[in-house]
Amino acid sequence: MTSKQIRMKINGKKFLMYEGISILDACEEVGIKIPSLCYLEGVSKRASCGICMVEIAGANTLMRACVTPIREGIEIFTNTERVRKARQTNIKLLLANHPRNCLECDKNLRCELQKMADDLGVKDIEYPNIKNQEQPLDLSSNSIVRDPEKCILCARCVEVCSRVQGVAAIDIAERGIDAHVATFFNKGLSESECVNCGQCLLVCPTGALMVKSEVDKVWEALDDPDSYVVVQTAPAVRAAIGEEFGIEPGEPLTGKLTAAIRRLNFDKVFDTQFTADLTIVEEGNELLARIQEGGQLPLITSCSPGWISFAETFFPEVIPYLSSCKSPQQMFGALAKTYYAEKESISPEKIKVVSVMPCTAKKHEARRPEMNSAAEYWKKRGRKNSELPSRDVDYVLTTSELADMFREAGIDFNKLAGEKFDLPLGISTGAGTIFGATGGVMEAALRTVYAVLTGESLKDLNLMSVRGMEGIREAEIEIDGRKIKAAVAHGLKNGRQLMEEVSAGNSPYHFIEIMACPGGCIGGGGQPAPADEKILKKRAEALYKEDESKEIRESHKNPAIIELYKEYLEKPLGEISHELLHTHYSKREDYR
Amino acid sequence: MEDRLKKEIDGIIEKHEGNHGALLGMLEDIQKNNPHNYLPEESLLYLAEKTKTPPSRIYGIITFYSFFSLVPEGRHCISICRGTACHTKGSKKLLDYIRENYRFENDTGGDAKLFITTEDRNLTLKTVACFGQCAMAPVIEVDGKIYGGVNINMLKDILKQIEGKQK
Repeated sequence: MTSKQIRMKINGKKFLMYEGISILDACEEVGIKIPSLCYLEGVSKRASCGICMVEIAGANTLMRACVTPIREGIEIFTNTERVRKARQTNIKLLLANHPRNCLECDKNLRCELQKMADDLGVKDIEYPNIKNQEQPLDLSSNSIVRDPEKCILCARCVEVCSRVQGVAAIDIAERGIDAHVATFFNKGLSESECVNCGQCLLVCPTGALMVKSEVDKVWEALDDPDSYVVVQTAPAVRAAIGEEFGIEPGEPLTGKLTAAIRRLNFDKVFDTQFTADLTIVEEGNELLARIQEGGQLPLITSCSPGWISFAETFFPEVIPYLSSCKSPQQMFGALAKTYYAEKESISPEKIKVVSVMPCTAKKHEARRPEMNSAAEYWKKRGRKNSELPSRDVDYVLTTSELADMFREAGIDFNKLAGEKFDLPLGISTGAGTIFGATGGVMEAALRTVYAVLTGESLKDLNLMSVRGMEGIREAEIEIDGRKIKAAVAHGLKNGRQLMEEVSAGNSPYHFIEIMACPGGCIGGGGQPAPADEKILKKRAEALYKEDESKEIRESHKNPAIIELYKEYLEKPLGEISHELLHTHYSKREDYR
Repeated sequence: MEDRLKKEIDGIIEKHEGNHGALLGMLEDIQKNNPHNYLPEESLLYLAEKTKTPPSRIYGIITFYSFFSLVPEGRHCISICRGTACHTKGSKKLLDYIRENYRFENDTGGDAKLFITTEDRNLTLKTVACFGQCAMAPVIEVDGKIYGGVNINMLKDILKQIEGKQK
């Protein structure tokens, strides 16, 4: 784009616009929405759907607004009979091969294709379905269900997977009527490089990519009188759940969320922020130990399971740099079935842990075979095999799945008065809250590391240099005469850039935070769609507001964490910590 | 994967590297060098790693072009042109004749992008969209050699040379 302005006309009206922008953007500027099912700002310009047709004076054919730049004197018409007919024909052609059982589709009422068909005035679809063979569902992934029959080949998923995440697990295979989205050799997603981040779910305009729902299993657990069902909810959920109920993002909805979850009849409603604080204490001490004892640096965060799978797949050589801390979700699961069970005298095998996460990769993380520490713990302490608890986290729901449950239970989210989390696993600090935004883990960790090393708190707890939406950010903080260099990346393509340095042995940092999803957890694949940068900023704002409003904003000052160490863990990186809160990683061999 | 094969692919990469559309040339050479004229999965993974190309992309390219094959060919290979000119000159009859007289594995019918091999692995039968030799229609290719103006009697002679078990 240049800064040169040119004259143009849209629907007969004159405008001055910057040269080089697309017709689609120019029309958007003046309040005309050009419909498209494949265009994604800054990510995808495949021009595959053919819906964004506009008429240009002097041109023989209609043009695609998403890929045609404006030029001096161009005259565009967006609302002629020819344009309307062409858009209708093109969407009908997409619909011809698309199943018509919308009522039975998980995407019903949230489907872009369905909505656009309605917007464009489709009443009947006169074209027959000409797909020659049935394509099976791909149920191999722990997080994502693929239904190729519903795919319209817009390729947004392909573009996001490769351009934003740098994973490129999928591409378009074959051609013509046989074209379809495929992994290498058309294997199941679980046998591909897919890291379960779910960014593809957020952009799929149909039900071709859906979350693997665990709603039914959670209802079953809640209905079982013998189960003691506790729920933990991640920080990013409170920043986005309102969008499911028509509330603008920007405010934390913690109280309402807690109240609504309680209405689903969980035995206890807890907060993942409690174990986020615990993660900071453990990881902060791990950083200190590595600095003081000359261990592997940079230390790299390990809370984002999409990122962990990415590292295990593409950068096995950086595994020694990863923090051995489990993610807050898994720390919570392990503690709920050990510490909490003992404290409250509940048989550990009765406890079921449900997580509500903004993340689809958390479903995969919970199923990793090693995430079974509570059972191992009790086995070691002589409990009979029949009385061992199930895996640390039983079920993982995304923000959107939770909203589905609220609707099913007839909970009027907007009308609920705020409630508080249960004790003690519901107590948290502002440092735990900001985990949900990119840079948050770094900021929370630096607050604690500073305090542990100097004996006093940072003068300004707001570390603005690690906040924001830039892909990679750097910060340097002087602690006790020592300079700590930190870097933050979100979106795996940015993470890849930092890892190439680590891999080559020339990374200048002591500490790196990587979050798989753009914006961090607030932009997770389990969050409500859409999630553009404007919305992500609002969600981050909500978390920073909650942080500011909290009395305690440093993890190590969380009274429930202090008590946990006193009663149970004894000290950070201690024996029980290693048993329950730390893990290991390995080069991924389970695919191909 | 054998070192010999790795070295072979390294050589192919070196030969094409830097050229526009190099990947196509590399894939062509790997297939040509394979005794069964196909692209084995492990060779493709090695190529992906060496050229820093996502495997899904390589798969997309291979499946776009009917020239590339992901399954081994039989000892002999006949490609029958199904372009418009060859069709009007009777290429369908040639195709049907072979199909009717040999026992093929996995023949699910249809002739777009056909790739079937006989149970005794002696003969692979393929269709191609056009050889670009329309003046000689109908055109078939037998073990790399092009035959023009083919009729059923010529085809029978060719099949005799190929031998293999007929039905």
